[in-house]
Amino acid sequence: MHAKQRAWLWNSVFVAVLIGLCFAVYSSGKRIDYTWRWDRVTPYIINTDPLSINAEYTGTVEVSADETQLILTPDSGEDPIVITDFNVLSVSDGDLVFEGDTLAEQHGWRIGPIVDGLIVTIEISFYSLVIALALGLVIGLMRISDNPAARKLAIVYIEVIRGTPLLVQIFIMYFFIGTVLGLDRFTSGVVALSVFTAAYVAEIIRSGIQSIPPGQMEAARSLGMSYPKAMIYVILPQAFKRTLPPLAGQFINLIKDSSLVSVISITDLTKAGREVVSGSFAPFEVWFTVALLYLALTGALSLAIQRLEKRLSASD
Amino acid sequence: MTKHSDDIIIASQVDKHFGKVHALKNVSTTVKRGEVVVIIGPSGSGKSTFLRTLNQLEEIDSGSLVIDGVDMYARSTNINHLREDVGMVFQSFNLFPHKTALENVKLAPLKVSKRPEKEVHESAKELLYKVGLADRMQNFPSQLSGGQQQRVAIARALAMKPNIMLFDEPTSALDPEMVGEVLDVMKELAAEGMTMVVVTHEMGFAREVADRVLFMEEGALLVEDTPENFFDNPTHPRLVQFLSKVL
Repeated sequence: MHAKQRAWLWNSVFVAVLIGLCFAVYSSGKRIDYTWRWDRVTPYIINTDPLSINAEYTGTVEVSADETQLILTPDSGEDPIVITDFNVLSVSDGDLVFEGDTLAEQHGWRIGPIVDGLIVTIEISFYSLVIALALGLVIGLMRISDNPAARKLAIVYIEVIRGTPLLVQIFIMYFFIGTVLGLDRFTSGVVALSVFTAAYVAEIIRSGIQSIPPGQMEAARSLGMSYPKAMIYVILPQAFKRTLPPLAGQFINLIKDSSLVSVISITDLTKAGREVVSGSFAPFEVWFTVALLYLALTGALSLAIQRLEKRLSASD
Repeated sequence: MTKHSDDIIIASQVDKHFGKVHALKNVSTTVKRGEVVVIIGPSGSGKSTFLRTLNQLEEIDSGSLVIDGVDMYARSTNINHLREDVGMVFQSFNLFPHKTALENVKLAPLKVSKRPEKEVHESAKELLYKVGLADRMQNFPSQLSGGQQQRVAIARALAMKPNIMLFDEPTSALDPEMVGEVLDVMKELAAEGMTMVVVTHEMGFAREVADRVLFMEEGALLVEDTPENFFDNPTHPRLVQFLSKVL
């Protein structure tokens, strides 16, 4: 009973602190006379404003009888342009239009630049995660190999990558290696992030493998399994389970670190945020939104890995 | 494997060091097909090390080992292939914790011998039935007692249809009341004519089941005799001393 009351007390403290923090944010906004305008941010996330379709050429308009198709025949004699994707017509059959005139309006939802950026961030993170996991596994196995060449190469890789800042690696990857190999920005960004994360993944996998009792390898080998088979069927499945929590942490870092690729002009969530700030003049709202979206991404990943952990714990 | 001769294990002048420790000193012995050999000795005597050289879990420094007619250190020998013929049971069971009892038994036949799933499944069930675990097949090792785990481990080793079984102190990690169930399985195996090399502290098992008992101390093989002579008329002074402590 006593313990229960105490739990109540401290839970109330927790909620009070959260409310206090929200109030602090609100009042600091007040202090600098900041006017919160969340409505300015929404069009950059989901845009519900009608989109006007403008004439690309000067010419004559032809509208079909059921008003679902619009054909613009340019005066210059080029091929006619057929437009079908619209909701409201602004012209009628036979009208003469000039370049830039509004022909029709399209209603409905369109995704804004912030969501575009979010999608780029998800893409970069996903590709990097998959490559980092594969590369990290290879480097981690090389790290514990008996072959001195493989082992030392892995150590050099891990030390070099962990010993230099990711930002510098991204610049080197884009301006030097990217130029030499002719990689575009997106590929350069993905490669830099994968190479960086793989160094940490390698160390996590190495420690995971080394945490498996040596008797497991001996038992597998005594049954006639080759070293690779023993690794694949016996050691790695166990090591994978043990390394899931630190891997989750590393992949959450990866999602956050992906914001650094904005320095090579990849329009990810962070760069989109920066662009929207200059267009909307609502920096606080935009950055809070961006932060929340990152939080949603990392939260989803962490939840997915927790689920996986639970499923794998069936044999415990 | 084809039958080459009656001597299924021929160890000659096996020598091994662990750093500065001279773990095996010129150990030579032969084991005949169908024979049960028990190795006894104080801890650190090299008996487990010697057993582990027989499937190359430990490599030897010098000497030679011929297993079922195959020279283990010949250039043409595939050690993985040789190990399929030599089953091993460990002190700490070493079951694969992420697989059920049945999957533990099935894994090597499926992945190493590439036998068809159906046949492997049936023979794995049969083996688990044989070691008395027909009702625990779907259990993970963590849900089994030590004795049950060790019996699964024996079934797992047998699944590769080996000609030789090595037992490395199979009952040392067990609670006393579970020792019997594991020894019973081993006795049954011995009765079926399996060639067995057993490192153990179970003197009763040695006396009852062994065809020959070996005594090792400080890496050297000192005595090799029938159980009757070994236990009732020991002559070697070191063995007399050892037996006076354990019996």
